[in-house]
Amino acid sequence: MVQLRPRASRAPVSAEAMVDEGQPASEEEAEHGLLLGQPSSGAAAEPLEEDEEGDEEFDNEAPEELTFASAQAEAREEERRVRETVRRDKTLLKEKRKRREELFIEQKKRKLLPDTVLEKLTTASQTNIKKSPGKVKEVNLQKKNEDCEKGNDSKKVKVQKVQSVSQNKSYLAVRLKDQDLREARQQAAQAFIHNSLYGPGTNRTTVNKFLSLANKRLPVKRAAVQFLNNAWGIQKKQNAKRFKRRWMVRKMKTKK
Amino acid sequence: MGEFKVHRVRFFNYVPSAIRCVAYNNQSNRLAVSRTDGTVEIYNLSANYFQEKFFPGHESRATEALCWAEGQRLFSAGLNGEIIEYDLQALNIKYAMDAFGGPIWSMAASPSDSQLLVGCEDGSVKLFQITPDKIQFERNFDRQKSRILSLSWHPSGTHIAAGSIDYISVFDVKSGSAVHKMIVDRQYMGVSKRKCIVWGVAFLSDGTVISVDSAGKVQFWDSATGTLVKSHLIANADVQSIAVANQEDSFVVGTAEGTVFHFQLVPVTSNSSEKQWVRTKPFQHHTHDVRTVAHSPTSLISGGTDTHLVIRPLMEKVEVKNYDAALRKITFPHRRLISCSRKRHLLLFQFAHHLELWRLGSTVATGKNGDTLPLSKNADHLLYLKTKGPENIICSCISPCGSWIAYSTASRFFLYRLNYEHDNINLKRVSKMPAFLRSALQILFSEDSTKLFVASNQGALHIVQLSGGSFKHLHAFQPQSGTVEAMCLLAVSPDGNWLAASGTSAGVHVYNVKQLKVRIGFHACIPLCHVLPQVFEYSIPDKHYTDWSRTVQKHGFHHLWLQRDTPITHISFHPKRPMHILLHDAYMFCIIDKSLPLPNDKTLLYNPFPPTNESDVQRRTAHAFKISKIYKPLLFMDLLDERTLVAVERPLDDIIAQLPPPIKKKKFGT
Repeated sequence: MVQLRPRASRAPVSAEAMVDEGQPASEEEAEHGLLLGQPSSGAAAEPLEEDEEGDEEFDNEAPEELTFASAQAEAREEERRVRETVRRDKTLLKEKRKRREELFIEQKKRKLLPDTVLEKLTTASQTNIKKSPGKVKEVNLQKKNEDCEKGNDSKKVKVQKVQSVSQNKSYLAVRLKDQDLREARQQAAQAFIHNSLYGPGTNRTTVNKFLSLANKRLPVKRAAVQFLNNAWGIQKKQNAKRFKRRWMVRKMKTKK
Repeated sequence: MGEFKVHRVRFFNYVPSAIRCVAYNNQSNRLAVSRTDGTVEIYNLSANYFQEKFFPGHESRATEALCWAEGQRLFSAGLNGEIIEYDLQALNIKYAMDAFGGPIWSMAASPSDSQLLVGCEDGSVKLFQITPDKIQFERNFDRQKSRILSLSWHPSGTHIAAGSIDYISVFDVKSGSAVHKMIVDRQYMGVSKRKCIVWGVAFLSDGTVISVDSAGKVQFWDSATGTLVKSHLIANADVQSIAVANQEDSFVVGTAEGTVFHFQLVPVTSNSSEKQWVRTKPFQHHTHDVRTVAHSPTSLISGGTDTHLVIRPLMEKVEVKNYDAALRKITFPHRRLISCSRKRHLLLFQFAHHLELWRLGSTVATGKNGDTLPLSKNADHLLYLKTKGPENIICSCISPCGSWIAYSTASRFFLYRLNYEHDNINLKRVSKMPAFLRSALQILFSEDSTKLFVASNQGALHIVQLSGGSFKHLHAFQPQSGTVEAMCLLAVSPDGNWLAASGTSAGVHVYNVKQLKVRIGFHACIPLCHVLPQVFEYSIPDKHYTDWSRTVQKHGFHHLWLQRDTPITHISFHPKRPMHILLHDAYMFCIIDKSLPLPNDKTLLYNPFPPTNESDVQRRTAHAFKISKIYKPLLFMDLLDERTLVAVERPLDDIIAQLPPPIKKKKFGT
């Protein structure tokens, strides 16, 4: 059937007419719709408006002849093009992501010890020799890399102290988590001692008061041992000193 | 003798650390004392209570228990969960073994000296076997609910008493199970919210367990039935320590108020066979908590937060009643903590973790004898040098010219170069120390500041040449084969040719520095009188004791001189007057004039304060020992130049003012 260019009509067009005429228009519409993402009414409106303008100029000319097959082919090509662009975009994004991942892995590897040292660590941990800490320096290492490598073994308790790994240096590799635990326990123990000796409920007094008891009982009462509180008004005293110095300088100047 | 201007220095803010544990070794009559900063000192009680060895402290090492085992082996355990054995010959730590029970609160060696028991934070009591070179974990006893704060073996080694919070458990060693659990009252005849901490237990051979706790009670328990026999309330505050004599007829307890009580087993009536424990003597020699006591066959030893070590010989046990049987209070260190640069009038103060450099003030005024001259320029604090790492500083020294500072910790050696420009001071560290210069026991610079002598703890003596900003290792004197003794004291002659070093086994070696070989090594009582209150003089070119020294020995010392309690800390010589020797101990300083006659027992040893007129001078007996007790307590005294002395004092009140709070004492009327 010959596709006629739709004539501008005041009356609202019927749905069928829209569908029929929509074939050529649908191509454009499809294009517009896909690329612009506008609602169909808007997309449909545009070609209508264009046609309106075109209509006025080329009112006397015959309408263009478009076969169904060609239009179909065009439509298919458009679709194919669109699909290709999407696919290209996707692959580009994938490649970008891959590159970033590799970069991260490399950076991580750079932060860790060289493989040789790690090998020695793992082999030495099998033998489990301990050296006295007084003679070696402790170096805390994070064993995250080993965890990643061994995967499931990360849950197992690894040997804490390792013998001196390299011959020229002597140091101990200690797991950080254990060190923190040990510190926490020591702090708790010291807090217990402090609490039981100096905490609430104990009958403690300051050294000043303690030593001044004797002074209070003398036949001629004397002042406390640390009578002056030298820490009182430090700022005030400093300001006074500065002012005095400046005043002296001023006095000297005016005298001259 | 001459007149001297004396710089009286009191700005050395030295506060010793509190004593935490003492352990007495019966066989060798030695006392091991551990302090809160981790230092362990060994005193020789038969050699005038001299501190002969010490192990420097460490920040993470908070020792809570100290004990001797198997004769001469010393173990300590602390809150970092490790058992440490000390090597007494090489003066370092042999090894540290983790007990895997958390912080360790108590440790006791078995009566058979082959096993070691530790009580841990998690409530477990662990048994270790002592092998010839290490200790080995044997087994765990039954785990208790709260931390084990005190332990004691039965003399037969079959049972153990462990004191914890609110209860005491008695274990059977063979099976490792708790036989009895004795609940301790929280307060004597009353109730209290505060938990009762059993600070000490002691197991006697008749099955009695003595416990001391934080409510101030001393309680006697019967371990066969697990019941309380007798309870004594002796203090309003905690009773923190207990020690029983070997014969088990007396024990001593220390309280938080500073009082030490002596309990004795006395018969009920004068001729009955039944005996009971009676509190006999209180001693108040401390102002703060007495955290530890020990009982030797003849004396009671106590130490605590007020940093004094008090040794009180018991009158009834002492055989010869002479001055030796008096109270000994060891407050000041027996080592030198201050070094002086004569040329620049600088003093280097050594603290536990930092060094301070001060320049002495100066004055232009003059005055008569006994005047205090006003300072025209105040003393200047030039440098505050903090050490890296957790270890304490062992020794430090400044060169006489003032441009080198050297100090050493247990694992590293530091050397710094100082530059002075118009009152400003510039410090530069000399890096890349050689590997053999690890830890030094004693450092000394030669008089012309070109050589540095280092006594390392392996027994070797190193000589390093200093020039410009660099150093060069000249020579190392190795110890004689067969002895690995650590060199403790060093002295160098003014012309720099001779170096004398004395080791722990009381021998003195003299080295010829110029020709770099050992000249003499001989065994004698330590000359230059550090231990014994006697003075020896040895002449190196002539290779024998000088005539003066022989006459002094023959003549004998004045009895008051022999009765001084503190050892002589420093000796110096006047460069222009070789007849004078200046020496000092904590309470006096003395100039010995070799040209004057020696005093005999009848004469006055201590001359009174300066003569007012001529007749006084003649009346006063003129003898060789000119002693002055004006400046005390003296930490350091040295001759700066012809007319100046420097005396560093440390008044006791200044130390006490910086201690932790003591227990409140209620006195009527205040």
